[in-house]
Amino acid sequence: MLTSYRAKGQVYHGCLWVLKRLAAIVGAGQTRFGDHPDLSVKELFAEAYREALGSVDKGLDAKKIKALYVGTLGVGGYQIGNVSAALADHVGLRDVAAFRVENACASSSFALLSAVQGILSSQYDVVLVAGVEKMRDMSSDRAKYWLGVSGDTEYERLAGMTFAGHYAIMATRYMHEHSVDKKYLSMIAVKNHYNGSLNPKAQFQKAISLEEALKAPSLAYPLNLYDACPTSDGASVLIVVKAELAKKFTDTPVYVTGFGAGSDTLALHDREDLTGLRATRMAADQAYQLARIKSGDIDFAEVHDCFTIAEIMAYEDLGFAKRGKGWLLADDGSTKLSGRIPVNPSGGLKAKGHPIGATGAAQTYEIFHQLRGTADNPSRQVKGAEMGLSHNVGGSGATATVFIYQR
Amino acid sequence: MAFVSVPVYGRNLRDKYGLEASKCTSCGFINFPSKGSCRRCSNTEGFTKVNLSGKGTIYSYTIIGAGSAPPEFSAQQKASGSYAVGIVELDEGPRIVAQLIGCDPEKLKIGLRVEAVFRKIYEEEGVVIYGSKFRCLSKKQ
Ligand SMILES: CC(C)(COP(=O)(O)OP(=O)(O)OC[C@H]1O[C@@H](n2cnc3c(N)ncnc32)[C@H](O)[C@@H]1OP(=O)(O)O)[C@@H](O)C(=O)NCCC(=O)NCCS
Ligand SMILES: [Zn+2]
Repeated sequence: MLTSYRAKGQVYHGCLWVLKRLAAIVGAGQTRFGDHPDLSVKELFAEAYREALGSVDKGLDAKKIKALYVGTLGVGGYQIGNVSAALADHVGLRDVAAFRVENACASSSFALLSAVQGILSSQYDVVLVAGVEKMRDMSSDRAKYWLGVSGDTEYERLAGMTFAGHYAIMATRYMHEHSVDKKYLSMIAVKNHYNGSLNPKAQFQKAISLEEALKAPSLAYPLNLYDACPTSDGASVLIVVKAELAKKFTDTPVYVTGFGAGSDTLALHDREDLTGLRATRMAADQAYQLARIKSGDIDFAEVHDCFTIAEIMAYEDLGFAKRGKGWLLADDGSTKLSGRIPVNPSGGLKAKGHPIGATGAAQTYEIFHQLRGTADNPSRQVKGAEMGLSHNVGGSGATATVFIYQR
Repeated sequence: MAFVSVPVYGRNLRDKYGLEASKCTSCGFINFPSKGSCRRCSNTEGFTKVNLSGKGTIYSYTIIGAGSAPPEFSAQQKASGSYAVGIVELDEGPRIVAQLIGCDPEKLKIGLRVEAVFRKIYEEEGVVIYGSKFRCLSKKQ
């Protein structure tokens, strides 16, 4: 039994295998999220790429990078085909196999998943993961047109549904089944705006009060403007290497020790239950099993809070709270920066911004720095964090990933 | 750029106009809207057509607020300010998403009785799209 676990790179600690190193992250970069009227998608990518290369402590010769996995929805259709090769070309990556991965808002975490699999297959030693999106150039009508394309188009779209509407329908049902007041949803917005106020790369760097969060204009009842993520431009880049090679690049790599993915029906009316996301539970089960840990072992997490209700459902689907009890974590402060399990120290999609394709890799960017103790602003450093989790959802839960990371 | 092209829209007109569902001959489950497999047993062939009564109850809902409707619904929204969309649980079992009409937004609630009515949904590039909306019924119906 034990010998079957004796994969290369594992550490034996007493009678516990504490680390299962599947791949290592040795560099990461992210543009600020928000408005970048002067930068194209390629230039956004180049900025995050340069930061990622520069963050490799012992340096990395770009010629060693053999594959590029790009996550993007392509909102607005800036480059419908072969966008990954276009990005590689722009920064002079001539020796890569370029892939594009699209799973709506979960695109770049699925790109990371493919990259880890590429490394585990032994085909590649050093690869690049990127997420890019340009959403702010478009008129809001066109943005709404494109966002709707990731949902069920045959029925939901014909009923006039929006993404806020999808999560609003989940929120209405959640609040009904668990007798929960709307104010607990707004508490998530207050927490994430506070965290965003400390993050120099966040779109919104402004704390808000619970009163402000409650009285914002309605977007899709019961959700209002402050329950929603904004539309954003941005890019994020990760450098992922074979675990055994990590120390060649840095003395403090961050290891991926578990990952999983799940999917579900596109249309909400096809789901038995609307108070959680089955795709998240599938992904989390796989990730915890692979890392051989339990949800209680996680020190902090970046979760998919495109709308406030999504963060509360994530608490439950990831096992941080029992079903129907996630809202209590919003109330008792457990998930604040100083709490028992800080969630979305970056400000989350809510305050950091949500450039669709760039979000997943940006969650990993945050975890990379938090685990190394190099958060850009010491006041938002999660103290003593050893194990982090990222959770990324496509659309209204048709796809999801969960990753576990350890120092 | 029409959101749903005429051929795409036309392919399941009988579902949309007649609330026609597919009953699985293998497990008896009533599937609506029809799709490539049975939602309960994943059977991919052997369905008989049944027409749904169009009556049901509100399972969940939202009210799409000012300024956030998709472009093909902006005209409706400008005229009415906001509109309600719900998931309706039909009496035969399946659930469907549709706009809710004739309900006082203040009094919308999970569990209210509703009934399907045939309506024009929107118009885009000169093409009229029809389908079902659900109208709130008084308690007894
Ligand atoms: C909420 C939404 C409709 C607002 O769009 P908009 O009105 O065009 O927003 P703008 O960018 O023009 O901003 C207008 C103002 O609202 C503020 N604002 C916009 N979105 C906001 C948000 N989510 N939270 C807080 N404030 C927001 C802006 O800061 C700006 O304020 P200012 O004028 O004081 O600077 C849009 O952000 C949206 O569609 N979000 C959801 C995106 C989505 O569905 N993504 C996929 C998720 S699955
Ligand atoms: Zn069946």
